[in-house]
Amino acid sequence: MSVKDKAAVVGIGRTKYYKRGQSFPMTQDEMAIKAITLAIEDAGLQKADVDGFALYSAAIDPGKVAAEMGLANLRFAATLTSGGGGAAGSIGLAAAAVASGMCNYAVSLMTLQQLRHRLGGTQVAPPADPEAAAAMAAMMRTPMTAFSQANIASPGHNFAMITNRHMAQYGTKREHFAAQCIAQRANAIRRPTSIFTEPLTMDDYFNARMISEPLCLFDYTPETDGAVALITTTVDRARDLRQPPAVIAGSANGGTGKHYSLLGSFQMPDESFASGGHRDVAKQAYRMAGIGPADVDVALLYDHFSPMVLMQMEDYGLCPVGESGPFVADGNTAWPNGSIPVNTHGGHLSEGYVIGMTHAYEAVEQVRGTAVNQVEGCEYALFTGGPATIPMSATILRKA
Amino acid sequence: MTTTEPTAKPFRNMPPPNLTDPYADARTQPFWDAARQEQLLGPKCAQCGTFRMPPSTFCPVCLSRELAWEPLPGTGTVYTFIVVRHPLNPMAADYVPFMPAAIDADGAPGMRFISNVVDCEPEDVRVGMPVRVVWNHVSNTLTLPFWTPV
Repeated sequence: MSVKDKAAVVGIGRTKYYKRGQSFPMTQDEMAIKAITLAIEDAGLQKADVDGFALYSAAIDPGKVAAEMGLANLRFAATLTSGGGGAAGSIGLAAAAVASGMCNYAVSLMTLQQLRHRLGGTQVAPPADPEAAAAMAAMMRTPMTAFSQANIASPGHNFAMITNRHMAQYGTKREHFAAQCIAQRANAIRRPTSIFTEPLTMDDYFNARMISEPLCLFDYTPETDGAVALITTTVDRARDLRQPPAVIAGSANGGTGKHYSLLGSFQMPDESFASGGHRDVAKQAYRMAGIGPADVDVALLYDHFSPMVLMQMEDYGLCPVGESGPFVADGNTAWPNGSIPVNTHGGHLSEGYVIGMTHAYEAVEQVRGTAVNQVEGCEYALFTGGPATIPMSATILRKA
Repeated sequence: MTTTEPTAKPFRNMPPPNLTDPYADARTQPFWDAARQEQLLGPKCAQCGTFRMPPSTFCPVCLSRELAWEPLPGTGTVYTFIVVRHPLNPMAADYVPFMPAAIDADGAPGMRFISNVVDCEPEDVRVGMPVRVVWNHVSNTLTLPFWTPV
């Protein structure tokens, strides 16, 4: 038994995307509730129908939001552990909840405001209060701490380490990362939702400042604010609702133990070091959906750093391992003419960063047939969460 | 006894250490004692011989808690590295660029040291290049290994 074809995403909602901090004075919860309300409306439901939350990365306190929204009948509130790696998996969790009857309509969402708290700086900025900073420093000091004194201090540093290995091992070049960034920007500027409105050129990319070599400014996602919510229910209930159901064909979350250190200790085995860490999750998601890479019509791959898009393409079998660079440079991931369009919404890199949920939103629009950059005849949409700490995740949606 | 007086920054392109003490426990103290003598040790499972870094409580292969320390020759290769150009916090402006790296140490297969390549220019570092350990005597209790081109 699996959740294959048992549940569907039936409602989607989102706020505007803002540059970092510009959503203030709204709060994160306020943005979350706006997105949920729009998703309820999109589905043709009432707020009283919502009775579950299937979450990841500590987006909200479901109790607090349920209180604020006056949800009388909350029956399920659960989260995947860890961070953005769970984005796509939260939809699988929602499917499990509704298919098993734990609840009827589960909300999955992300809401993000990077006003004071900046995700990229999580390992850098100590608390302003000296006492709190001292307490934090003391907490960080274990007998293991001194074994990693390398000043690797941010997600960008971590993923640059993996990127440089991929470049050395397979001959991948910065031009290849640039090609993916340029393709995503071209997708983004056709959308009114995007933070970036101008095309990106190869010159722009190579003139940008180097942050942690080999990653330059444009390889990093921008820091943005916003909220995105999705509602999942059973396929039976979905038939009576307003939108064509986006059927959950497969979903998986997890990863191989040594890839826990994707963000940290760099002890992954040689054969999968230069990867997105998604190979096991990919296999599991495809197996549940009963499809293979060739069946995927559009891939929405988590893109906090552009090289990780290429490595996930390899993890998901969209191209052979080690060949993602030339594959992208040949235009295979561009919309509309590429053989497998990737990040048709512009992705985190060019549309806006809401920790993976913009990818989920786009996947739903693609199988509904209503995306701005619609892939013609889109049957299956794949979206991912991570690469990050475990669990990492993937969900495959199917046109009803 | 090759221990030298503590010097804050003995090498070029080396960020200042964040620690002045290893905060060792009984399991990890041998590494730091040897480091003060400029001898590199690799942590491995005393039961099945699997190397692991960091020297965490359980062996991920056999779950034994017994740790052994293997003397290593102090040579290795750069598995991967980066060049940090942008100072994430204002203080780092004084010491960019620097080169964090994962090092495959000779004699310790299956684990990597996480450190910095120092005393050379960013342009001189390559994946796969041979390196040797050099020692930064940070304090009377902490000596940190770094790596430099052979």
